[in-house]
Amino acid sequence: MTDQSTVPEVEWQRLDPRLLVIGPLRALRQFLVPAVVAVFGVSRSDGMQWWWSLPIVLVPLVLGLLPWLTTRYRITGSRLEHRSGWLNKTMVTAPLDRVRSVDLESSLVQRVLGVTTVNIGTGVDETRIKLDTIAREDAAGLRGLLLAQRTATATATAPDSPDAHDFGDVLATQAPPAPVEPAEVLATIDWSWLRFAPFSLSRLVVVAAALGAFSQFADDLPLLDAEHLSGAWEWVVSFAIPLVAAVLFVLALVAWLFISVGGYVVQWFGLRLTREHGSLHLTAGLLTTKSVSVEESRVRGLVLDEPLLLRVVGGAELSTLATGVENGVTAILPPAPVSVVRRVGADVLPGTEPLDVPTLRHGAAARRRSIVRSLWLPLLLVAGAGAATVALDLPWWPVAMLAVVLLPLGVVLGESAYRHLGHALTSGHLVSGDGVTTRRRTILESEGIIGWVVVQSFFQRRLGLATLVATTAAGAESVRIVDLPVGRAVEVADAATPGLLTAWLPRRQDDRPS
Amino acid sequence: MTDVTTTLRDPAHQVSPRAVTYWRVGAAIGAVVLVGLLVAAYVAMPWVMDGRPWWGTTLLVLLVAVEVAYVVAMPSIRFRVHRWEVTETAIHTRSGWISRETRIAPLSRVQTVDSQQGALMRVFRLSTLVVTTASAAGPLTIVGLDQDEARRVVADLVAITGASQGDAT
Repeated sequence: MTDQSTVPEVEWQRLDPRLLVIGPLRALRQFLVPAVVAVFGVSRSDGMQWWWSLPIVLVPLVLGLLPWLTTRYRITGSRLEHRSGWLNKTMVTAPLDRVRSVDLESSLVQRVLGVTTVNIGTGVDETRIKLDTIAREDAAGLRGLLLAQRTATATATAPDSPDAHDFGDVLATQAPPAPVEPAEVLATIDWSWLRFAPFSLSRLVVVAAALGAFSQFADDLPLLDAEHLSGAWEWVVSFAIPLVAAVLFVLALVAWLFISVGGYVVQWFGLRLTREHGSLHLTAGLLTTKSVSVEESRVRGLVLDEPLLLRVVGGAELSTLATGVENGVTAILPPAPVSVVRRVGADVLPGTEPLDVPTLRHGAAARRRSIVRSLWLPLLLVAGAGAATVALDLPWWPVAMLAVVLLPLGVVLGESAYRHLGHALTSGHLVSGDGVTTRRRTILESEGIIGWVVVQSFFQRRLGLATLVATTAAGAESVRIVDLPVGRAVEVADAATPGLLTAWLPRRQDDRPS
Repeated sequence: MTDVTTTLRDPAHQVSPRAVTYWRVGAAIGAVVLVGLLVAAYVAMPWVMDGRPWWGTTLLVLLVAVEVAYVVAMPSIRFRVHRWEVTETAIHTRSGWISRETRIAPLSRVQTVDSQQGALMRVFRLSTLVVTTASAAGPLTIVGLDQDEARRVVADLVAITGASQGDAT
């Protein structure tokens, strides 16, 4: 690497001055609740003047200025250096050829001001350099430069040539529009996909969380005390209950339509998935625009999800498994038609074989285990209800009803999980199928497998089954294949990583002479 | 029982036989604490409810029996199962006692090699070897190696993995 002393000193850059506006705004928002409380508290109490509350407003304002004053960065010939902090100074140095991803993200305020935040992913996991607030055009140039530099240092013979250049000069010469190769567009949003939004339940979690937060406050609302509630209840009962239930159901459905479609639009507005400089770039978002890039050689595989409801209407979701990205699993498409998901998947892999290859089922013993596993909870519930019935001397028909509903449901879910369970090997990929109601296909490059774990519980050993885990640095860091016949597990591991297991395989006279 | 052993040869080495005593002492300490708490709860029972119900006695006897069985049986089974081997290209460990776990990783993908020694381990001159790869799901652990042997294995592993290229992801 370049010797520091021989490099002509490159000037340190500050972040964009517009951070002086954004920083205090952010700090104010963080302090908003205590500030409001304090201002009100002070103004209510006697003998205190309004200006007592000034520090509570001024301190965050001053704190918000600090990032701009204390942060500097520069790009020398081979390194990106980033200095920040006031009392605790931090200096991060990253070799340019280690840059794995450059993500742009701009909040609504940032977009109005024409700036963006640049997140630069370096090491394997943690180290990310965050350049908070850079002019939008500079950010695009910086990204182009960093990604191009990476490919350049990867191919060039002398990466440590002492051509340390000022970042500004580089921008002047390499500023956009000057992409070396035109970006190849893999997918853009098609508004007919909005039809999948209501069938994708992942957003339901957010709604549930919001309801939970609301219920925290609900106690304080004047209308929700017991007196009002019982009054409301009598009023409700005086109507036909089925009618009320139907109206509530329709209302919930309409609300869900709005929330799901709205959320879909906000998250995926202006979606563009492109390939450029050997990286995948994803840009999307209505309010906060998010731009994620992942180096293609870091993409080790894909996950294709078909949740039950989405599958009924022919939709699917696609994520990449990558190493060195903040969260190894990145959704690169919204819920979209299966055909689109498969086309993009085949583009990214590349190849259609891992997407098409039929997975092998794991056999009768695996099916039995799958059904038994999903019967545990229903059996426990029925047993609990039975115990309560005996203890409290209640009638038996509710327990019978519970058993009639839950036990078949358990069997159905177990059978469904078994049908989704499977595995396959192609020339370059390990394919694993799983999911109870969701049908999930996980595709992992054999090159990305960095070890194997074979786990056998007591019951699995009795049935000759095992759980095979391929460990990897990408995505969730492991791919599990549950309940394979144990011999098959060893075969799969041996075939996916030839040579690794050879020393421990039983010798065959014909093909392994020594 | 169909074990992984029917398809994959055992790793060559066992850990130090002193590990059996180490596991037994460790389990016994835990058992003494737990049984002590249980007996205390049993003795305190009449203050909370009327006398000592039959199920309380049964539960106590059962739990104590389980603990005793654990201290007696677990260490020797664990010792029999726990095996390891390092070749020029790979590391292979097997561990567990009721459930079994076999782990194999190529040495070219090894990131760190640690040896650890707790207070109780030091008494028995034992070490634990932890070999990690870039996957959080993939550390290989050898518990109860003789401490001198552990030092040798660490040196060997460092020599082999130091020679391989790339960033092991």
